[in-house]
Amino acid sequence: KLLSQRTASNNLHTPDLTDAETEESEYEEAEDPIDAQEIYDMIAHISDPEHPLTLGQLAVVNLSDIEVREKCDKTKISEVVVKITPTITHCSLATLIGLGIRVRLERSLPSRYRINILLKEGSHQSENQVNKQLNDKERVAAACENDQLLGVVSKMLSTCK
Amino acid sequence: MPIELLKSLRLHKDKLWSLDCSKGLMATASSDRKIKLVNLQNLDFKLVEELDDSTHKKSVRSVSFRPNSSILAAGSFDSTISIWGKDDSDPLDNPETDLLAIIEGHENEVKGVAWSHSGEFLASCSRDKSVWIWEADELGEEYECLSVLQEHSQDVKHVVWHPNMNLLASSSYDDTIRLWKEDADDWECAAVLNGHEGTVWCSDFEKSEASLRLVSCSDDATVRVWKYVEEGEDGEDIWTLDAILPNIHSRAVYSVNWSSHGYIASAGSDGILAVYKEVEQGNWEVVAQQNEAHSVFEVNMVKWTRVGDKDLILTGGDDGFANVWCFTP
Repeated sequence: KLLSQRTASNNLHTPDLTDAETEESEYEEAEDPIDAQEIYDMIAHISDPEHPLTLGQLAVVNLSDIEVREKCDKTKISEVVVKITPTITHCSLATLIGLGIRVRLERSLPSRYRINILLKEGSHQSENQVNKQLNDKERVAAACENDQLLGVVSKMLSTCK
Repeated sequence: MPIELLKSLRLHKDKLWSLDCSKGLMATASSDRKIKLVNLQNLDFKLVEELDDSTHKKSVRSVSFRPNSSILAAGSFDSTISIWGKDDSDPLDNPETDLLAIIEGHENEVKGVAWSHSGEFLASCSRDKSVWIWEADELGEEYECLSVLQEHSQDVKHVVWHPNMNLLASSSYDDTIRLWKEDADDWECAAVLNGHEGTVWCSDFEKSEASLRLVSCSDDATVRVWKYVEEGEDGEDIWTLDAILPNIHSRAVYSVNWSSHGYIASAGSDGILAVYKEVEQGNWEVVAQQNEAHSVFEVNMVKWTRVGDKDLILTGGDDGFANVWCFTP
């Protein structure tokens, strides 16, 4: 029940355009462009996996570190870049936090958005390794079929509005 | 435009990861755990069979037909490989494909499977960083592991065999490509190709007896051609970068395929399908570019095939579609 409500509210902001049969209506629909504030609102309420606080409260995600490279034409691919700042430079949960953000955005944004999740420069000692994992679609897809991992991610996302 | 969309097939409910063709059939693999078979003959593109979807517990990542047969290998994120076959006497529009074998051995996700040109060997690769070489019996029911190659330092994303030699190429998350060949009773690494600045997603050999080259594509958004030079003094083969193809892609390139008549096709995250032609040795030009080949979705696979007198390009995307493109040079 909860899940269906959440999906419904997402759809208010971001109509589901994944169904190719609805392609025609895609052109007609006056969809508001998505801005950084909307992306921030989608991910700021994600719970930190080890603190009783959200990623917004911990300043792991910050409005100023979100960039939307929007194409006006809704049939074109657009890009979202989110830079995250782990609370400590050796944070072992940086990958998990990034995965949570990616899953949240993949579920919320229309398919035309390519989502790039990066650690903010200098915020983590294994920056390149973590970035590589977070942006490998095959590893992300496999992680989302791992029940244990998906359970942790679902818990992180359960505080999203 | 020399490429034209012939047919768009809505086959899967989730990402279509891989496809392959043999004897008039196309097989597709998806995150929805299904494998589907489509009849390509007469260009009617009818879905003719759905293989038992309780076989794999996770995404089916890769499919490969044994050359000149209807035996299909499928690698899955559930770490197993399934082998399927039908009687050659079965009509193409109503095949009855049976599960012949399940191969276990990899520790986690199988990412690629590929048959050698003679059908004698099956190669598989996995997130466990290894490449396995299996010897198959004629019926495709018995598999013996001949070698476990563990020299990649990260996930191995893709494997492909040379069209007429027992030479294997593997592409990896460690940004390299390794070439493997048979040496006495074992298999050994013949060369390492360094140069890509990101995960290498896929590679493919030139279909030529006259020269030995490999094309590769990467997360670094480039497509590169490598050329065999000679055998080095230490026994390792010497390969060199032959060309970097024109810079068409803006994001990761997931798939590349070299046609039998010398064209290269590439596709990737930016939704672009590109075809390149070598105008003179080492100098390539783009002869066709299709943007939004799967509308706004990523393209995971591109494959050349020939049906009747038509050269077709098959693509598979995150929209779960297989698109059939006609290529006219």
